[in-house]
Amino acid sequence: MSDLKENLKAQIIEQLNLEDLTPADIQDDAPLFGDQGLGLDSIDALEFIVLLDSNYGIKISDPNEGKEIFQSVNTLADYISKHQ
Amino acid sequence: MRIYVTGYGVISSIGENVEETLLALKSEKTGIKQGRKPYTERFKVGEISWTNQELIERFGLTQNASRTALLGMIAAKEAFGEHELSSEVRTGLISGTSVGGMDVSEIAYKDYLKDESDDLNVYKNHSSGTTSEQIAQELGIRGYVNTISTACSSAANSIMLGARMLLSGQLDRVVVGGTDGLSQFTIAGFRSLMIFDEEWCRPFDETRKGINLGEGAAFLVLETEETMRKTGKKPLAVLSGWANASDAYHQTASSPEGYGATLAMKSALKVARLNPADIDYINAHGTATPNNDLSESHGIKTVFGSSVPPFSSTKSYTGHTLAASGGIEAVFAILALNKGILLPNLNFGQAIEETGLIPVKNYSEGHEIKHILSNSFGFGGNNSSIILSAV
Amino acid sequence: MYFIQHIESITHQNSFQKENIWDELKPLTAENQLISPDYKNYIPVAALRRLSTILRMGITASKACQEKVPNEFDSISVGTALGCLTDTEKFLVTINTVSGDVLSPTAFIQSTHNTISGQISLDLKNHAYNMTHTQNALSFEVALKDGLLCIDEGKKSVLVGAADEAIPFLERLRGSLILTHLPFTSGATFAVLSGEKGNSIAFVQACEVYFSTKSQETLVTLINQFLDANNCSSGDLDLILEARSDFRFLAKNHISFTDYTGFYQSASAFALHMANDWLIGNADDKRILIVNNLESNKLGLTLINRNEVEA
Repeated sequence: MSDLKENLKAQIIEQLNLEDLTPADIQDDAPLFGDQGLGLDSIDALEFIVLLDSNYGIKISDPNEGKEIFQSVNTLADYISKHQ
Repeated sequence: MRIYVTGYGVISSIGENVEETLLALKSEKTGIKQGRKPYTERFKVGEISWTNQELIERFGLTQNASRTALLGMIAAKEAFGEHELSSEVRTGLISGTSVGGMDVSEIAYKDYLKDESDDLNVYKNHSSGTTSEQIAQELGIRGYVNTISTACSSAANSIMLGARMLLSGQLDRVVVGGTDGLSQFTIAGFRSLMIFDEEWCRPFDETRKGINLGEGAAFLVLETEETMRKTGKKPLAVLSGWANASDAYHQTASSPEGYGATLAMKSALKVARLNPADIDYINAHGTATPNNDLSESHGIKTVFGSSVPPFSSTKSYTGHTLAASGGIEAVFAILALNKGILLPNLNFGQAIEETGLIPVKNYSEGHEIKHILSNSFGFGGNNSSIILSAV
Repeated sequence: MYFIQHIESITHQNSFQKENIWDELKPLTAENQLISPDYKNYIPVAALRRLSTILRMGITASKACQEKVPNEFDSISVGTALGCLTDTEKFLVTINTVSGDVLSPTAFIQSTHNTISGQISLDLKNHAYNMTHTQNALSFEVALKDGLLCIDEGKKSVLVGAADEAIPFLERLRGSLILTHLPFTSGATFAVLSGEKGNSIAFVQACEVYFSTKSQETLVTLINQFLDANNCSSGDLDLILEARSDFRFLAKNHISFTDYTGFYQSASAFALHMANDWLIGNADDKRILIVNNLESNKLGLTLINRNEVEA
């Protein structure tokens, strides 16, 4: 699981062009969206869908489903480990 | 000084001229079907059935160009019709397009990616500005030629700029509108945004899921009263109001309360010196995405309060024709003004819970319609409204 | 009269936030790279990460303009000939190489021409009139004309500008579709215009565009007609800034602005900056004409005067 999370952080940084961040800057339970966390937005949510599809073969067809899944690295990792 | 519409032309999936378009509207027949191109076959789209070569032959066009330019030439030729060029009447052309000649350049680019066997000559059709130059050439228009590219509000903005150019005395007559041919680029683009509805789009419906794309073009000829004395043309309608405002909310999403939309509608009413109560019908932007229709509904309610006039989104007929949509819908508005028509919002079932607004559901004639508000909202929060009025 | 309140350019020259760009202007060579300011000083990092060069240049130049004038812009008018080429090409590659159903949307979103003006409004939280014009080599002129029209209509603080960016692919079209020996370059110039004099030293008197011009003789006739309509003649011109070097004979000083900009189709916007700053540095000169004949079938003419000159 911790490997998965570390990989995820690197993939998030790449997919979303978060050049100024390193995986260590992203806390497992920190919110990814909104002003409290990384400040990601709805375009990033679509990029997350691409990330899940291309790296894990997981399909999400309704962007609304993403809201729960993309809350934090923890929720993402949970979802991936259950659906892979 | 009033701005008159003295010509109109349109081509879309529901008809290849004004007459056919009216018939389709009347019969409540949508032009949206399962796509027939390799890149559209999985979607419901408002496609025009002719290939580029067929368009050239069928409409006697003199240039081989991108689909965007060809469709533009067809609609602009119909609009310009019996109008004549003369040195007495300074005539310009303003066209809106989102992707210009992408439908042909993307094919060449594909060859380039494969093995660099692309025909470089094809790229001369790529630029959006070139599509307008080609349309101008087809009509013989020189002098002021311009292209507006503000995504889905492009044609509305071209119409608006044309009116302002006439009012300022820089032109005597101007051909305005917009054109967009379907391309793989656009289809893939909207697919990447995940806002396609795989079924027929349902604007302003609680269950709406997204858009169907379409293609087409439409142009109007605008003249001042003084020009009409020279040309002897009869007015079809008055272009009485226009405005553009920026939502400045998000790159793709509209603000939930429809701030930019409200600004555009209110400012257009002000330019037209009309009150909200004077509007007899609203042709909404109504793309059928969850976001647009909710935001636009809030905007309409803010402007019109508890007495929202009859409104509908005719994108249920044509699909979303992007940069052409404001032009196509302006033609619809002129038809509605002159024939007293209320145009239906096809596929509507159930009102959006949050707003409760119910659009016009059926085609009907015989209404007294004096003023129509037409909305066009683009990516990047580019919001425009125009008002067309009976002569 | 349309007074130039402030003007900023990001180009291959050292032209950003300078008192007078002529202090450091020199003819370009192919080795000269785009000189980018530190964009982080102008654009929040969260937004910056997505933005291509053309967007970074456009937003930064606009923001630098906004910081220098007291009023919020009440009109934004942007010209671009080829728009956001980097993102357009990126998305073309995506649709031809990604086989699955899920495509990355960011490049598509940022490929549309009006991303530049849209991002400017978003960044400045500006709800005013927002327009994007694209007309090949006349893209700046048609945007400028819209801005001038806005001032005629009563707008007080009008942002006009143009931006284009080079991508390596353009080299493939050199010699066939694009006939130039100049290096392909990127550039953005934004100016604040107003009907009030303010702190300006020069004003745009007029701008005209002509499509489908035929011959050199036609061009000379059009130039003379334009000058005549603006109550002057070629003898009154202190400088001509021209895309080519066909009209050396018309004025006492002549500069091909493309020697300084390289090749991008909205480079005439930088010529406006060159004109404004020329008048800062040459106290005796009064009138400058920009002749944009970059493409042979069209012509743009812009007349710039020192404030003391009667329009």
